[in-house]
Amino acid sequence: MATAIPSIACLGVIGRNNNPLHISIFPSYDSSTNSFAPVRTPLQFSLLLSSTLDVFELRARHNAASGVGLSGDFGLLHAVDERLAAYGFETNTGAKFVVVVDMRGRRIDHGAAALAAESGGSSREREKRLNAAAVGLREGEMKPVFKAIQTAYIKLLQNPFFDPDEHSPPAGRGGKKITGKKFADDMRRIGENWTPGVTNL
Amino acid sequence: MDEYPAGSLDHTIPFLLALGVSASSTFDSALSPALKEQASLIRSSLPTLETDQAHALLDYIQDRDASQLPCNGRESERRYRFRVRTAERSFLLPPRRARIPDGIETPPFPPVLHSPFSPLSPVSSLYPDGLIDAQWTRKHQELIPSVLLCFYTLATDPSLATLCDNQIKTDVNNIRGLLSQSGYKTRLAVVLLSDRVAPSVDGIQERLDNIRKGCGIDSKTFFLVPPNDSREDLERMAENMLVTLHSVAIEYYRDMGRHSRKKRGRGVAPQPTVPPTSGTSQTLSLAGWNVRYDYKSAMFAEYRLDMDNALRSFEQAYENLLSSELMEVIPSWSPRWNEARMLADVIAVRCLRCLLWNSQYSAASRRWQFHRERIADLVERRGRGTSNYGWEAWEARWATVVANLIEKADITDFAPSTFKLYLQPEKSAMGERLQPWELLHHTGYWYRLASRHLYARRSYAHAMPEDDRRPPSFSPASRVAGKAFTYDTYMCPDPHEEYPIMGQPGVDHSQLIVDCLIRARSEFRKRNQIRLAAELSLECARELALIQDWPNIVELLRPLWLGMSFRTEGWLTIAEELCWALRTAAAMAGEADLVLAIDWELLNQSFTRRSKWHYDITRSLEGMTPKTKPSIHVRDDKILSFISASFLFKDEEGKAGQSIQGQLAIKSNAHQGSAPIVFNSLEVEVEGSVRSVILRHQEDGEVAEQKQGGAIITAVTLTEATDDSSEAEDEADRKAILQGTAPLSLLPGQTLVFAVEIPLREPGETNAMSLKLKLQTESFDLQHSLTFQGGANANRLWYFPTSTPKRISRTNPLSVRVLPRPPKMEISHPTFMDQYYTDEPIYLEFKILNKEDLDAPAKLDAILLGDEAPPFTLEIDGRESQDSSTVGSDESRLLAVPLGAIASSKSLTVRLHFLPIDRANNYDLTVRVVYHLATNPGTPITQTAILQLNIVNPFEANYDLLPRVHPDPWPSFFDYEGVQQAAADDDGNSSSNDAPPAAALSPPKGLTQTWRLVTRYASFASEDLRVLDVDIRLQASQTVRCFSTRLARQFPPGTGQIIKPKTMEEAAFDIVAQKSTLDDRSVAALDVALVIKWARLGSDDDDMVINTTALPVPRYSLFGIEPRVLASVAHISASQQHLVELKVTIENASNHFLTFGLSMEPSDEFAFSGPKQTTVNVLPVSRREVTWRLLPFLINSSDTGGDDDDDSGSDRSGGDKGKGEGG
Repeated sequence: MATAIPSIACLGVIGRNNNPLHISIFPSYDSSTNSFAPVRTPLQFSLLLSSTLDVFELRARHNAASGVGLSGDFGLLHAVDERLAAYGFETNTGAKFVVVVDMRGRRIDHGAAALAAESGGSSREREKRLNAAAVGLREGEMKPVFKAIQTAYIKLLQNPFFDPDEHSPPAGRGGKKITGKKFADDMRRIGENWTPGVTNL
Repeated sequence: MDEYPAGSLDHTIPFLLALGVSASSTFDSALSPALKEQASLIRSSLPTLETDQAHALLDYIQDRDASQLPCNGRESERRYRFRVRTAERSFLLPPRRARIPDGIETPPFPPVLHSPFSPLSPVSSLYPDGLIDAQWTRKHQELIPSVLLCFYTLATDPSLATLCDNQIKTDVNNIRGLLSQSGYKTRLAVVLLSDRVAPSVDGIQERLDNIRKGCGIDSKTFFLVPPNDSREDLERMAENMLVTLHSVAIEYYRDMGRHSRKKRGRGVAPQPTVPPTSGTSQTLSLAGWNVRYDYKSAMFAEYRLDMDNALRSFEQAYENLLSSELMEVIPSWSPRWNEARMLADVIAVRCLRCLLWNSQYSAASRRWQFHRERIADLVERRGRGTSNYGWEAWEARWATVVANLIEKADITDFAPSTFKLYLQPEKSAMGERLQPWELLHHTGYWYRLASRHLYARRSYAHAMPEDDRRPPSFSPASRVAGKAFTYDTYMCPDPHEEYPIMGQPGVDHSQLIVDCLIRARSEFRKRNQIRLAAELSLECARELALIQDWPNIVELLRPLWLGMSFRTEGWLTIAEELCWALRTAAAMAGEADLVLAIDWELLNQSFTRRSKWHYDITRSLEGMTPKTKPSIHVRDDKILSFISASFLFKDEEGKAGQSIQGQLAIKSNAHQGSAPIVFNSLEVEVEGSVRSVILRHQEDGEVAEQKQGGAIITAVTLTEATDDSSEAEDEADRKAILQGTAPLSLLPGQTLVFAVEIPLREPGETNAMSLKLKLQTESFDLQHSLTFQGGANANRLWYFPTSTPKRISRTNPLSVRVLPRPPKMEISHPTFMDQYYTDEPIYLEFKILNKEDLDAPAKLDAILLGDEAPPFTLEIDGRESQDSSTVGSDESRLLAVPLGAIASSKSLTVRLHFLPIDRANNYDLTVRVVYHLATNPGTPITQTAILQLNIVNPFEANYDLLPRVHPDPWPSFFDYEGVQQAAADDDGNSSSNDAPPAAALSPPKGLTQTWRLVTRYASFASEDLRVLDVDIRLQASQTVRCFSTRLARQFPPGTGQIIKPKTMEEAAFDIVAQKSTLDDRSVAALDVALVIKWARLGSDDDDMVINTTALPVPRYSLFGIEPRVLASVAHISASQQHLVELKVTIENASNHFLTFGLSMEPSDEFAFSGPKQTTVNVLPVSRREVTWRLLPFLINSSDTGGDDDDDSGSDRSGGDKGKGEGG
């Protein structure tokens, strides 16, 4: 029996002005057709990413009030349904990284599922559930992803031909999207290579 | 949750029935007619209580009804929960044993009768193999009270007491009997309300005990309410009573639970009253009975709020229900299958509630998911699969159920003010590999999830073949049977109702979806998730579009379109989606304004191009017939404008009266291939000199047009026009409008550049502010206003007709600094001198020359600043004169003196006249002419001349006062006559006019002294001055008579003497002073002033202005009491040329007799005759002389000039050492 495990469905980089800088969409496994296809349309992913801005704002306000959350890792922003969940990270320059995880984006055979579920409870019910559904995510499992995105973003910033102000004007609205191919390749690599438990991307 | 049978999902609360008080709403058991017939009636024969106190008590108890309380364990201060109903005198209890319905063959042995709600009774719908249904739940929740609370009046009147007591006893016993007859174990409680204050407590207590014992009631459930208690006391009492009753009720439900467990423990399935004869003849299996018993004990635990036990029993029931023995063996076509599914749902819901009650939120979410997967698995294997609308309908319902449960549970952490979107997992689940969805999200997410399943439901429904959608009566039987196996109709309609063939009303999917979305949206909005709420609005709009509810779409999307963050933040795909959705709806709803504005925005190339769209704003309103011609105003910060505009001034500075070049560039970023836009006019708003620049469209104007680098540069000639619409009262406030014409047709991707020259009027800043583009067609008016961006990323290209554009790197190219217009009015002062002198009247003459080309009405300000500025008079052209006003001590001024219009190249003379100033000082004189040109009255021009007015003293002088011998003899102290005589002689010889007249009247008789004042005055002027006369003015004390004699030569009258600067002149005066009486010995003060009369050179004799400068001499004192020794030298005769007579005169003005010793030192330089050494005695008020003759040995040539009248001496020492003091 095969088990669904999480995969990345979409990576979003959002600029300081809440403007989209980069969106990568990754196909998920569709059990009904036995093929890989994105679970949502690009428009829906755009809406999904923009809806995380609400959460960033809420958290920022909450963090400012309680004086926590300096690390920039916002953890789970929200889950839009039982499949898709958005995780967020904000750099200290206001750029935001959003990872949309499809909790059933990949399928692995049973042995691997058992391995992935090694830490789960031993109760019969739990095991059944894990096998039937998906592997969950631990807190902090997104850290390697954010680290990798940040590295890619820093590499992008180090490019002398990249003008950050053009992409997020300091006192303006909107901004250009990132067009660098290398950055897009990096994002693709991150999105495709991540599975739960991966510590280095 | 509403779709489940009533009461099946409700949180169960102990049921309390109050009996015996009249109430507005009475309890109605709502039994079915069949059951009503067999129901047992419980009634009290005593009249109902009508007293206020009874009502107050009942109201309070009813108030505490807990059926609407949130389902959580938080409200711990609430020590009881009751569902309270009231009955006046009687109520019905459902039959404990169901009758055997007619027509069923009675078995030979006496039948065992069962409850009508049990699958054992043939009357029950569950008969013979059903599990359990909502009827049972309702029975305990609504029909059978756990506690029956009876109200009675306790009469205190002794005469009635016994009767009353007995009545109560009888009634209670009667009710008890009826209850036990009915077979229910309802607890009985009695409340006695005494009607009056009892005369003795003991008696009452005795009576109460009597009644209690007579009724056989436990003291715990027997209450007395004393009369006339305050409301607080009553409430406290009721509270205590309810707490007690709650424990009784709990006990009741515990008994019930125990009973269920006992039955389960028996381990045998009971036999039905009558064995089933119809259907499969199958009865409920033991496993089924176990589910029933577990369910019952769980429910009773829930009544007791023992949620842990309830959860355990529910889970047990659930597992058994879905086990291979039960659910797996029920065929899916049987109605029991759906009943079992519903029971599974009900149990799952109740499990969820228990988990939420215990704050196990993640467990709840997991339980939710678990149930869904279990059922999905079951339906896949045994049922009709999950790929049909019925399954999706259930999924939607299942999500809604959780939302409702969360709402009911009223979780504190989900209050909108906390802004929490999901709850942290409980401690036991922390650290596990949790699904994100297992962190319980707020209800908005659940409603949204439900809406997704509703979408799926619809798409499945719409995918049904038409044959399946026919009503059963119209379709062949085989088809009907086939449908039953294909479509899951669990809690949802049959295919022909779900999505009927055209014309038949079916399920309104859109409405369901919209309801769900709206509910979700309100939750998101409460938590400030505006973007998510916007997304839902968009989804809603799509749904509404399907049912063509256009006005609602407009209402929904218009506020979003106006202020959406997607546009400002650059989520253009979303903005585009929204625009098109709104545009379609607006077009259908006839909102022409909106259609226009959206079409205008959609022209922007940033949006994706729709291939079949015309992209022509003039065709925007095609197919619409607005009542009035739409006129809209679009602002660039409100929409994503496809037009960008910039304005540049070429230079940073300009001067008023000149003009400056500016360029207006308009760039279109419209879709390629869209229709060109022909503006009617555009207006640049300028702040400062001009109000606005208006360019009007002219297709084929005679304007220079050059193309350069994708830009079309047009030089526009501007003409001035007055703005009549302006209501500025003052002419100066009204600003001009510049107009010009140019072709204003803008092609996509094109840049239009208009080069204009803007005249500058007022000094200060002139800023280009904004641009208004006006587009007027037959069908609409559109105005688009843009604000010029002055920031770093603004367009700063200056286009040249022939070369590439140049970037202007000024900080703010939108602004030009206008310097004041250079004045052409001249103020000249040809006669102004570097220095003016004190004591002379000063005339300053200014010539104001108008060098402007036009007449200029002017006004003059003259301001003199300085220490104690003197007033002045202004004279204009010798005509009128005005006096200045003094402001403080430092300023005298004359402001805004009208000079009238000065004709071009004509001049006007203005004179300032100062009276003689007596102190040297420096002043600043400002002369300012403010004028304006007749052509441009709004622009005042100022010319200023600032002059330094130096007032100096023309002369300075120093003085020596030398003693001299008065030739006349002193009056003798002893000779009265002589004194008279001498005085008379003096009078006659007087040559001075300065003698005080008082002295002349009574001739002075005192001592006389002669002094000589030698003055040396110097000119400090910077030029030659003519001194006409020098004199002194004496001012002596009253006791002295003085007069002076000018010794030096007189100046020639009329011409005087010319004194060069920095030269010194000397003038000597003899001063004779005489005391008025001989007796006066006091010192007399003498004030002398040197008076110089002078005039400036160059003036003719006729109009020569003679100035008088008086120089005060330091005060001298005369007639000291000390004696004076004076020496005088005289040549004796012409023959003896070298012989000199030295005379030493000693004056003793004191009253003492003085003796002086005189000695003459012999010398090599002269010989002398006379006493070498002598003593002279001088009497008081007398003088004596000693004479020597001297013959010098060495004759100096310079001495040969006979200085016959030259005398010298001092009052203390002679040329010799003749010196002495009186002894």
